Amino acid sequence: MLSAASLAIPRLRCAAPRRGQSARNQWMQLRRRSLSSSSTCPYAAAAAGSGALEPPDLPRLADAARISLSPEEAEEFAPKIRQVVDWFGQLQAVDLESVEPSLRAGTAGSSLREDRPETFANRDAIIEVIPGYDDPYIKVPRVLNKE
Amino acid sequence: MPPPLQAQRLLLSHRRLNPSHRRRFTAVSSLPSAPAKTLATGAAPSSILSIRESLLSGERTAADITADYLSRLRRTEPSVRSFIHVADAAAEREAEELDRRIATGGHDVVGPLAGVLVGVKDNLCTANMPSTGGSQILDGYRPAYDATAVRRLREAGAIVVGKTNLDEFGMGSTTEGSGFQVTTNPWDGSRVPGGSSGGSASAVSARQCVVSLGSDTGGSVRQPASFCGVVGLKPTYGRVSRFGLMAYASSLDVVGCFGSSVVDTATILSVIAGHDKMDSTSSTHDVPDYKSELIPLDLLESKPLNGMRIGIIRETLGEGVDTGVISSIKAAASHLEQLGSVVEEVALPSFSLGLPTYYILASSEASSNLSRYDGIRYGRQISADDLNGLYGGSRASGLGHEVKMRILMGTYALSAGYYDAYYKRAQQVRTLVKKSFNEALERYDILVSPAAPSAAYKIGEKINDPLAMYAGDIMTVNVNLAGLPALVVPCGFVEGGSAGLPVGLQMIGSPFSEGNLLRVGHIFEQTLQNFSFVPPLLAEG
Repeated sequence: MLSAASLAIPRLRCAAPRRGQSARNQWMQLRRRSLSSSSTCPYAAAAAGSGALEPPDLPRLADAARISLSPEEAEEFAPKIRQVVDWFGQLQAVDLESVEPSLRAGTAGSSLREDRPETFANRDAIIEVIPGYDDPYIKVPRVLNKE
Repeated sequence: MPPPLQAQRLLLSHRRLNPSHRRRFTAVSSLPSAPAKTLATGAAPSSILSIRESLLSGERTAADITADYLSRLRRTEPSVRSFIHVADAAAEREAEELDRRIATGGHDVVGPLAGVLVGVKDNLCTANMPSTGGSQILDGYRPAYDATAVRRLREAGAIVVGKTNLDEFGMGSTTEGSGFQVTTNPWDGSRVPGGSSGGSASAVSARQCVVSLGSDTGGSVRQPASFCGVVGLKPTYGRVSRFGLMAYASSLDVVGCFGSSVVDTATILSVIAGHDKMDSTSSTHDVPDYKSELIPLDLLESKPLNGMRIGIIRETLGEGVDTGVISSIKAAASHLEQLGSVVEEVALPSFSLGLPTYYILASSEASSNLSRYDGIRYGRQISADDLNGLYGGSRASGLGHEVKMRILMGTYALSAGYYDAYYKRAQQVRTLVKKSFNEALERYDILVSPAAPSAAYKIGEKINDPLAMYAGDIMTVNVNLAGLPALVVPCGFVEGGSAGLPVGLQMIGSPFSEGNLLRVGHIFEQTLQNFSFVPPLLAEG
């Protein structure tokens, strides 16, 4: 069912198509090329450090994201995340030479207000929802766990 | 009571609109008692206008109108479950207070939205009312302030009747990702209302409230509007302040709105739009009176869209799109042509790249935005021996499955060495997507497409298959990447349920062209014959 789902994903139609090659094959080729030679491939620098685009290391990611994953959850998430990340990989094959990255849509305003401190009127409501409050401190357990 | 006229997939016949057919539609403010036939002639009445007129004329009281909506809400909620929190006592009090002010102060106190019941998506902060973001991690959380959009509605006299259900923190397309309950589609209780603003869409569809607020990051207003047969608007990025909207993906999120008619949606937009000093990404672009630009049906010329060029997006009519949806959209295009416009197919290069691009950007930004839910300052806290354990345990316990997945995917995409490969490349593709839309919008006044590749599907159908669910967003994500405004107007039906399943037409415009979209949407809606978008569950009892 999962493979049927990925077939249902619209196929890559990139700016500089390589005739006769699927998106995945293009990506695999680019990865191999970046590993074997110092090419002008734009992400060779990124790949060079770690050797390749490593598949997601779930325990490390969970640690970085500060989410304690149970072993069952890790087992359940790993193939799904790998599948989605593989799907992300189709962007590797797109020709993005001299395309500027867009931080956002370009329709936003960019006004900054005056940097003048004000006292928020409803501080009580903020304090009320703090789970561990000991006026004027927010209580947390010890920061470093000395082994 | 005869069932309302439904599911007539008739194409608009080739005839000019005869003056005798253009009668001014009288709004019906008390729906369940109205004969179904009155609703079936197509032109959607303005509930906001009819409420205002009855309050000003003294024909009805705010308390009476509120009681009416609340009774319908109570009757339909056990099956629809649009609301995580219903503030009925507060709503009744506010209505009584409004009646007192009208009795003593007269018409001056009747703000533009006086007595109008609104549903607010639960990822928008409402002071002293629970705001969970659809997540267990914020169960019971009460914000200290109103989101700007909510504050502006309240200042205009609106009554917040409750907080609507959503996919947790806006992540999802079915509302099944809520940490609390599953909302059902008012058209068929075994189907999803869409997502992530499913509760806001179903609440308006089931007439539990007049209008509602939602948010749209990748289609979360437009797709549920299509699934539930209501009008949904995604404004231009920056049009409406995001202050008080729990952030999912900051470069994509917008606050949007739902109504049962285009004119109600336009009225809401005028109230919530505009610059806000609390949101530095909000635009100082002028806010027109959107409602005043809408032409009443009896004043329309026979070819009101004469001179308009409309591009129908080719990539949205092909493989993977339901044939019933395609024929509804083509019928809508034909209707637009009858109104005098020229409709042509337009190809958008980079269209299919939008989907992985969106998910990379959204997951990455979400992984950063959701790091604030750490159990320290608010929300659920799981005690632990050390700080990291407290973070890990609280987040593991409070955050749902899909949210965890996206945080982990985003953490991966942003980790050292991968930024160039994923996030930066996605931003570059975003430039290509913007460019292709802008080029198309130079040649066409608006672009149209479906809002989703199908009508509402069954609850549980896509829950284990992330890519299958993501695939359904293909019609909507590119619009968020480009920051453009888009309006969804119900245009037809496909087979399903007891009376058919609604399909919405998505209309996309250039930045800050909401006025034009609403004008076209209003003309389309007012001239659409033989469809009624009131779900069958309202005709019962």
